Amino acid sequence: MERNIQPIGIINWCALLVAAVISAILARYASAAAGTAGVAFLVLGFLVAVVSYFQMRLEERERLERLEFDELKKSKGASTLFTEGADTFPALRSRQQFEKFVIPIFTALLFLLQAGAAWWLWQWLGKASPPKLNAAKMALALYALFALILFLLGKYSSSLARLEGQRLLRPGAGYLMLGAFISGLAALSEAAVLGDFPKVDLSIAYGLGVVLALMAVETLVGLVLEIYRPRVKGQEARLLYESRLIGLFGQPGGLVTTAAQALDYQFGFKVSETWIFKFLKEAVLLIVLLQLGALFLSTTFVIIDPNEQGLLEHFGRQGGARATLEPGLHFKWPWPIDKVYRYQTRQIRSFVVGEVPDSDEASARTVLWTKPHFKRAEGEGPEAPGMLVASRSQTTQTNKNEKPVPANILTVSIPFQYRITDPVAWAYHHADPDQLLQKLANREVIRYLINVDMDSIMSDNRLAAAQEIRRRVQARADERKLGVSIVFVGLQDIHPPLGNKQIQVAAAFEQVFSATQQKQTNILYWQAYAARTIPAALASATNIISEARNVAVSKVALAEGESARFTNQMAAYQASPSVYTSRSYLETLARSLGPASKYVITATNTQDVLTLNLEENIRSDVLKSIIAPPDMNKAATNK
Amino acid sequence: MKQNKITLVTSGVLLVIFLCMLFTFQVRQTEVAVVTTFGRYSHSVTNAGFQWRLPWPVQKVYWFDNRLQTFESKIDQPITSDHISLLISVYLGWRITDPKLFLESFNGDITKAEQTLEPIARNAKNGVIGLHRFSDLISTNQADLKFDQIEKEMFDAVQAQAKSNYGLAIESLGIKQLNLPDSITPTVFERMKKERETLVATYQSEGDREGKSIKAKADNAANDIIARANAEKEKIIGQAEQEAAKYYAQFEQKPELARFLFDLKAIEASLKERANLILGPQTPPFSLLNGATNGSPSTR
Repeated sequence: MERNIQPIGIINWCALLVAAVISAILARYASAAAGTAGVAFLVLGFLVAVVSYFQMRLEERERLERLEFDELKKSKGASTLFTEGADTFPALRSRQQFEKFVIPIFTALLFLLQAGAAWWLWQWLGKASPPKLNAAKMALALYALFALILFLLGKYSSSLARLEGQRLLRPGAGYLMLGAFISGLAALSEAAVLGDFPKVDLSIAYGLGVVLALMAVETLVGLVLEIYRPRVKGQEARLLYESRLIGLFGQPGGLVTTAAQALDYQFGFKVSETWIFKFLKEAVLLIVLLQLGALFLSTTFVIIDPNEQGLLEHFGRQGGARATLEPGLHFKWPWPIDKVYRYQTRQIRSFVVGEVPDSDEASARTVLWTKPHFKRAEGEGPEAPGMLVASRSQTTQTNKNEKPVPANILTVSIPFQYRITDPVAWAYHHADPDQLLQKLANREVIRYLINVDMDSIMSDNRLAAAQEIRRRVQARADERKLGVSIVFVGLQDIHPPLGNKQIQVAAAFEQVFSATQQKQTNILYWQAYAARTIPAALASATNIISEARNVAVSKVALAEGESARFTNQMAAYQASPSVYTSRSYLETLARSLGPASKYVITATNTQDVLTLNLEENIRSDVLKSIIAPPDMNKAATNK
Repeated sequence: MKQNKITLVTSGVLLVIFLCMLFTFQVRQTEVAVVTTFGRYSHSVTNAGFQWRLPWPVQKVYWFDNRLQTFESKIDQPITSDHISLLISVYLGWRITDPKLFLESFNGDITKAEQTLEPIARNAKNGVIGLHRFSDLISTNQADLKFDQIEKEMFDAVQAQAKSNYGLAIESLGIKQLNLPDSITPTVFERMKKERETLVATYQSEGDREGKSIKAKADNAANDIIARANAEKEKIIGQAEQEAAKYYAQFEQKPELARFLFDLKAIEASLKERANLILGPQTPPFSLLNGATNGSPSTR
């Protein structure tokens, strides 16, 4: 019973230290994530083993001291000279001091280390490099070796601890077993790396990180509970830094026993002997079995949601008349005989061919050609290469010698919406029907665009094009037995590309529109001119004609009047020609000479020079007429 | 005793499950399976459902998806027969037809199969594109377009290679992407832009031309109207003169009187404005003034 366990303690911590160091080198060399996580556990184990080793040494010294004291007591007999003073047992005192101060402080430190290690591990795993394949084989071998050695040592220590009640060996043994287990896991993850599953390594490492965090929590809880635990006299204090969780590896007593022990220890009486605990202990298997049974029975029915349809398979074969299940409750054979696969057939599904609209820009109320509005990955330009579209003008202008690329590029974004109509076809004909449908749609869009005139598809043909594309995709999908119905196809965006800084294509297209507007403006301007000019001409024509008519009428009327008057005058003349002539002459003269200024020069035979000042009477613009006296007599006698 | 019963039942159930796992397997509707005995091919299972087997390591089962797989080739850059470079990718629909051959060829790995299909698809795609002109791919003219034919040729080429060698069959092929490489895109942009600029110029000149023709037409029409009106005017006046002449014929009856009256009228008309007249004493009636100086009237 009183065997010196110190050498075993030394071996334990040495083994843990060596394993930790080599593991660390190995993990770095093979960049194994699980291995790195294991190093943390091994280092912690080493610390714990060292502390328990010191405690062992103290207890050993105390034991020797007591032996020595007993010997002394025996040899001295009942000597009164010798009394049991406070300083009689220095070893006992130092052990007590150790248990009182060092252990709680170390435990607190342990908690910090565990939590810190867990946190660091989590951070490190985020940017860990993938495991190296060439080092994996060696790492696998070494980890397996560690697992074996640590397991043997741990098993030995834990058996010793259990059989001989060496509680101080327990923590070290627990960590040895844990180290063995983790080395085994590391070996497994290296095997996975060799088997081309590099993800496994990382998952295991994350799992170990979680375990580390759990251990930290356990240490913390242990520390707190220690404060409130009732101190039962004579009861051996539990090792504060010993993890019950890890103890599970060392003690095959199992979960229930460990739990019972923990409860007993915490409450200070035998909880494990109460009836309820005994019942639980007996019934636990039954309860678990019942649970499993219930789980199994729950696979005998299935509830299909309103937007779903289910496909029933009997031993993997399509379930005959009940192949498709409508929404509601359905009974079936339990798993794994009958299986149901659900498909959300009533739900509208959608995808976009071409550019995917940028959701960040979705808040913008207007979508303009000249502004980028599509989702872009880092480093890409404002637009991906668009789709090729034929152009009627282009095909007519193509010069065969110059070899221009006879195609236009348009930015296209066409949302498709569809619904699964036949889940059997959808699920059983294609491995990836969704992808296939997208590819079909892509192909049909390309097929449509390369054969259509650019100008027409952007304007008058737009709706018809959407209908046509929808028809073609549906036909293709039916041909391929996809079991879908295309609900909607929209030419959401189809416009010239932005181009780049030098070549602004979309802007050039907009200029065409303004040019057509200008053309219209020009035409309208001259139409307005025409509308003004012709009526004006018509009006002046009417004017001219009516004036002419007036002239004509007055001319005729005058002629008529004059002729009528002449008839009368002729009668008067014929009656007495000379009287009539002189009378009418004098009358006219008198009438017309009234306003004129007259100078009558009576002296005919004088040689005088007459000076007349006509200035007062003559205006510059007035016609001056000097009328020589007509030969009145001659005129009269001629008759 | 009770505990024992439970243990017995539980272990019995576990044994049954274990045996089922060892001696049976299922093939789903979507799968085909290949069974090997000691590593040698023994049979394929194409009917879905429940199947018996000998436990591992005697018999081994491989399951394959028998549905149509979709595979998209990489985008690459073939050149058409008229030396235009294109970016093109195709998708293939393929299916495992011979699970045994498939297992042997690819160790049953679909990814490996697709890796094998990749060069075949690219070879067919680039080869076929090289045989065609660019206008076979893109044209508004339905007669020029050989898009479907090109796909068919690619399909035939892929099918010929893949048919009997790998245990799989190609069921469809379609062009997934068709683009121009980045180096060509700017020239296309430039051309599209130039085209638009030509259109702008065309529209502008059309506008000018139409405007001018409208103006010329309007001016012509106006001139025409005025000219017609003037002609009409002349006609009307001519008619009026003709009519007036009828009346003036009256004057022919006594021409000397007519002339005398016209003279009078002319005098009257010419003296309407303020005129200065310097008259001799012979002018009647001022001849009377002569009489006053000479003492006798001498009219006659």
